[in-house]
Amino acid sequence: MKRCPKCTQTFADTETFCGFDGTKLISDSPPPQQNQIPVGTPVKTEAPHVASSPAASEPFERITCEWCQGINQKTALSCWSCGAPLDVKNLVSESGWREAPRIRDMTEIHFGLSTCQVEGEIVPAAELNLGQGDSVFFEHHVLLWKDDHTPMSVMSLQGGIKRALAGMPFIISVAHGPGRIAFSRDATGELVVLPLHPGMELDVREHAFLLASHHISYSYVRIKGLRNILFGGQGMFMDRFVTSDQPGLLLLHGYGNVFERVLRPGESIMVEPGAFLYKDSSVTMNIESQQLTTGFFGGTGMNLARMTGPGRIGIQSMYVHHHTD
Amino acid sequence: MTQTTHTCPWCGLVSDGSTLSCLACGASIDAHAVVTNSGWSELPGRKDMAKLQFGNSFCQIEGVYVPVADMSLASGESVYFAHHVLLWKDPQVNVTTMGLKGAWKRLLSGMPLVMTQAHGPGHIAFSRDAPGEMIAMPLQSGQAVDVREHLFLVATSQITYDWFQTGIWFTTRTGNESETHYPLGMFMDRFYAPATPGLLLLHAAGNAFVRMLQPGQAILVKPTALLFKDPTVQMQLHFEHPAGTWSSWRSWGNRYLWLRLYGPGRVAVQSAYSPLEDNGRNITSHSGATEQHWG
Repeated sequence: MKRCPKCTQTFADTETFCGFDGTKLISDSPPPQQNQIPVGTPVKTEAPHVASSPAASEPFERITCEWCQGINQKTALSCWSCGAPLDVKNLVSESGWREAPRIRDMTEIHFGLSTCQVEGEIVPAAELNLGQGDSVFFEHHVLLWKDDHTPMSVMSLQGGIKRALAGMPFIISVAHGPGRIAFSRDATGELVVLPLHPGMELDVREHAFLLASHHISYSYVRIKGLRNILFGGQGMFMDRFVTSDQPGLLLLHGYGNVFERVLRPGESIMVEPGAFLYKDSSVTMNIESQQLTTGFFGGTGMNLARMTGPGRIGIQSMYVHHHTD
Repeated sequence: MTQTTHTCPWCGLVSDGSTLSCLACGASIDAHAVVTNSGWSELPGRKDMAKLQFGNSFCQIEGVYVPVADMSLASGESVYFAHHVLLWKDPQVNVTTMGLKGAWKRLLSGMPLVMTQAHGPGHIAFSRDAPGEMIAMPLQSGQAVDVREHLFLVATSQITYDWFQTGIWFTTRTGNESETHYPLGMFMDRFYAPATPGLLLLHAAGNAFVRMLQPGQAILVKPTALLFKDPTVQMQLHFEHPAGTWSSWRSWGNRYLWLRLYGPGRVAVQSAYSPLEDNGRNITSHSGATEQHWG
């Protein structure tokens, strides 16, 4: 048996990280006897992070979130780490696409010592209460409001000239706790909450990311192939988010509705390039063109991205670009 | 034992009520018609992932903000669409072009020159680029509907596609420069099921409302808000000049441009519509129109 040193929940020996707050688990050695504590030593007791913690005598039942695989109390209505409703059935189409969970208004999500509340449903906003020592990074144009005392800085980025030439944000801003700050984008859509477990790599369409917690490292990957750049609908670069040994929280904004599908090794699907939102780095993407002609009057070309597994792919149903400039 | 039947309030399909939603249009079986005091009906509620059937194929409507039509095409069945609404498809779904008459006129009027056809078996999905509603219109044999351009999403091969000139226009002039405006577009799409029933899917921006006009009954709608109408509904321009503004028939002034629709038949409007192009210049000529001066 293992135990989380932060929230004191117990887990099976096979698990490495706490399903509630992502802290590395430790061996659950028996607690010291009361009579072993020297008289006069203050005893520090930490309340568990889940308000509805079961009594110690009850058997510990858990609900696994179908979206992020986070572990939750049996009484929880929404996932502690991604906000997905736990009492609503997964919506999966017959062709295998799963709708991103529709996060209820005012749902709270937890990461580190911070919380994120999702507000609104048509153009949802993410309101963060950053704990001491926590920080998030973001593109400055998604900032909605902040407390005046919330510290801000900028993240140093490699390849600044390349990024500027490619139309990617030149400056990534960082907000530090303690303090409150809120983010939203400029179109009807859904907030996609992706808690990243350690050792994950996720590629995201440029400008689609809303914010990421400081445990996630941010870089970019150059899209290879002239055809992929010209007809891929997203320019020269994709954002890449990587977690090393600690989990992190990544929030994306998808235009319209967001759907996710898991591709098996070698399985392919053709996707409108402008609809691509995110993918595991193991999924390959190649643009294929088809010429649609009508003889004398010419015609038009149709470019579709062939996405090949293994891994997840996420798409957005409204795929026109809404530039804020 | 009594046999229970359910008649869909939207498409009229009679079923035994054993499914949660209408198999022809996806409307929830337990939804009641929502009608405003003035007689406009909202589209019937549709549950996420509602499933429709056409021929041996199926269509699932997914999402609520920008819904997706996810089709499972059976072997030998096909649908056609404008290529820019394609969201994703299985690699094995064969996509070809469909011949259209009047390509030169379509090119000049900005209508899609190429209509694309997808052939089963396989999955293919469609969506548009604006928040709104997906409208499933099962057309019975002999039934037709007129749709404003660029609102059509996808139709099954049982439905024929044609287009006609709207005949709604006006010309403005400044000095030697004259410009012809088409508030409704130069053309409208006409979909017709000649022999066998078919399914037509439209995408409305915002919410969609439908109203049945009695014979001779008229209503004014903003031209860009029109979604579809029965072919029996007639159209003409209407100019309205509010009180308190200096204006005359052929002068610069405040004016409202309307589309006057005459029954009998259904008309549908969408709540999110693009602004009408009107540069406010002198109107020198126009299609048949009515006029109203206030004050």
